Amino acid sequence: MSDTIAELRRQREEAQTRLAARFGADSPEEVSQALNALHDRLIRRVLELAEQEMMRTGRGKPPVPYAYMLFGSGGRAEQTFASDQDSGLIYADAADVARSERNRSAMPGNASSGCTFRDDFVARYIRAYFLAFAETAVGYLKQLGYPPCEGNVMADQPAWCMPVSEWAAKVDGWFEEPSWENVRHLLIVADGRCLAGDRTLADGLKDRYFRHVADRPAVASRMAENTLRHKVLVGVFGQLLAERYGASAGTLDIKYGGYIPMVNAVRLLAVRSGIRATGTLDRIAALAQAGVWSAAEAAEAREAFAEFLRLRLLASAPREDGSLPSGGQLPVRLLAREDVDRLKKALRTGKKLQRRIERETRAGFGGR
Amino acid sequence: MVKKCLIVLGALLVLFPTMAFAADEPSAGTLNMGLNALWVLVAGVLVLLMQGGFILLEAGSTRMKNAGHVAGKTIFTLGLCSLLYWAVGYGFAFGPDIGKFIGSGDFFFNPAIAAGETDNYPSTVFFVFQLAFAAVSLSIAWGGFAERAKLSAYLIFTLFFSGLIYPIISHWIWGGGWLAEDGSQDFAGSTVVHLTGAMGAFAATILLKPRIGKFNKDGSANEILGHNQVFTALAVLLLWIGWFGFNAGSTVAVGDGFFGYVAFNTQLGAAGGAVAALLISWLVNGKADITTMLNGALAGLVAITASCAYVEPWAAVVIGLAAGVLVFLSAKFFEKIKVDDPIYALSVHGAAGVWGTLANGLFATRTLVEKVGVGRPGLFYGGGAHQLWVQFVSVVVCGAFAFAASFVVLWAMKKLIGFRVSEEQEIIGLDLSEHGTYGYPEQMKKAAQG
Repeated sequence: MSDTIAELRRQREEAQTRLAARFGADSPEEVSQALNALHDRLIRRVLELAEQEMMRTGRGKPPVPYAYMLFGSGGRAEQTFASDQDSGLIYADAADVARSERNRSAMPGNASSGCTFRDDFVARYIRAYFLAFAETAVGYLKQLGYPPCEGNVMADQPAWCMPVSEWAAKVDGWFEEPSWENVRHLLIVADGRCLAGDRTLADGLKDRYFRHVADRPAVASRMAENTLRHKVLVGVFGQLLAERYGASAGTLDIKYGGYIPMVNAVRLLAVRSGIRATGTLDRIAALAQAGVWSAAEAAEAREAFAEFLRLRLLASAPREDGSLPSGGQLPVRLLAREDVDRLKKALRTGKKLQRRIERETRAGFGGR
Repeated sequence: MVKKCLIVLGALLVLFPTMAFAADEPSAGTLNMGLNALWVLVAGVLVLLMQGGFILLEAGSTRMKNAGHVAGKTIFTLGLCSLLYWAVGYGFAFGPDIGKFIGSGDFFFNPAIAAGETDNYPSTVFFVFQLAFAAVSLSIAWGGFAERAKLSAYLIFTLFFSGLIYPIISHWIWGGGWLAEDGSQDFAGSTVVHLTGAMGAFAATILLKPRIGKFNKDGSANEILGHNQVFTALAVLLLWIGWFGFNAGSTVAVGDGFFGYVAFNTQLGAAGGAVAALLISWLVNGKADITTMLNGALAGLVAITASCAYVEPWAAVVIGLAAGVLVFLSAKFFEKIKVDDPIYALSVHGAAGVWGTLANGLFATRTLVEKVGVGRPGLFYGGGAHQLWVQFVSVVVCGAFAFAASFVVLWAMKKLIGFRVSEEQEIIGLDLSEHGTYGYPEQMKKAAQG
């Protein structure tokens, strides 16, 4: 198996170098799309390999249908050359297993034991199976060069690998008690995208999610508070607010000072309007279609976001020696004059959007 | 009841014997002198209290490992400065004038025990007041030494600075020297005290070179944060309060209450500096910087020091606001040219000192100039560019002299006995290397274990 993974890693690096070379020739959206198609393909392949490994080690096929979810930039299909893993796993409930003829033979235990006991046993078996499966997949992905998520939002964590009923209860709880941490979870789930497996599991959860959003407008305002803390790094005079000290002095944090605030703002509007698309550009298009934004507003937002996407990709592109730079630090000094102007324009658009949401949130729900 | 009344009455008579012997009235001259003496001594004590501000300012702006050293050396050099100023400094500043350049006489000052018939105040009070100023100027210079100079350097520099350099400049402007003759307006010492101290700091920081870790190889700067921002804020308040002695005390008379007007302008200048500095850092950097705001308050005070008795209230506000913006830009500038200024002495006392002195040339009013009796009105009050030019000359000459003299002393010391501690000592901290104990023993031990 390690040979296969090593081969996949080699393929990834090769393909990424090829994609990085397409900068300039192709639009950032095209490069980003191709790059994310590559990531998706690789992750799907890893899931197949993980299933094979489960079979090979005698643990069999997945006992119930599952959906492998990508969150964060993966969920939005906006991964860069060096994104980490944000994932989760939804699987069907144990109670459904009884009705599932297909998998009965694969199950240990027999019908003579008490029903509750058996259900409990099966549930525990399924849980253990998917945790082991996710652990295998996450481990392969690490070997492939996808670092683990710092916040531990990963399919191999019990908190993010649950049967659909538990997911539903959890989402209900988060809406019930919109504490800072819970709202953060809701925002993570908003970007969730089913990459492999049974889509209907993910869709069911999303239905529930958007019903809650519609019923509880106050939670949306909590979401606004939660996401507006990353400030767009442009000053009152339109100047860039670059780092002033330390090793990254003179660089602009394009990720947290441009890209993320815009992602947050667009996500917020999309969720409020019941838009289910997860990609930011898709959300912008949907917002225009739903009449939330005028065509001009959408075009402006689209242009600004494409600029962030481009610079973020640029900042994360493989270096000449093949190493991957870490964060989204953009050395402002090395930018050409017209690039700086474009960046400033994009940042101003981002800031305007942030301001507008701030205002609307205050107007709609009162300040704090 | 009657008994109690008698006891109280008796006690009051003991406390206030004049009530019983109203006929023994002091003369109007003695009363006037007494009031002046009282005010000037109180002002001198307020200025001395500013050393508490410097202790907290410098300690708060530097790292924990140097805190005991930074704080303690201020008291030591205050003592040394007092002895020096008594022995020679006061004589050079206020002794009989020689060629408009330096005073001579009154060495090992042995004052009369009381004021004479025609004196405005006893000379002892004047001495204490002037000594407190000399000590402030010295403590300003320490900003350039912070976190890397040897203790012996503090000792040697005090000898020359308090004994000679500062007295010469104060003679020029306040002791009847050639700049006083010229009509240079520096009411309480933007130039004499602040610019002179800042130039000492400038010479020191150039010769010492930046602290380890302040600048990277590629030329970018690192932020070496002070260990206690609360100290720094409290320091600014102490200095602010002390400044009422500094400025309002410089009337050296109670007279018609003009010192109140000086105090009033001082408050406006400081306020303008604090507000402008916070706003400018917020506008330019996107974050409202506390350190910049605190520096702004001090810069406002430094700037208004020269002009507090010469300008109208609105001008005091303008001078303070401009000082707040200036201190922010100046700190950025010094960082850009890779001068490590840990306590921001160059910006707060240097840049703002220059601005405050020049501001007289713009805003000094005819009425106030006549009242104080020095120089002419400024550019905006019909005085033309004359006063501005005088102010400019005094800034350039005093600044250049203070810088050159400090540089020569420190350069010679560097060559002869060394100026900076070793790299190892700088890293373990001056508390340990110079004194053998930490200012924060528990914390530093814990840090060493961690």
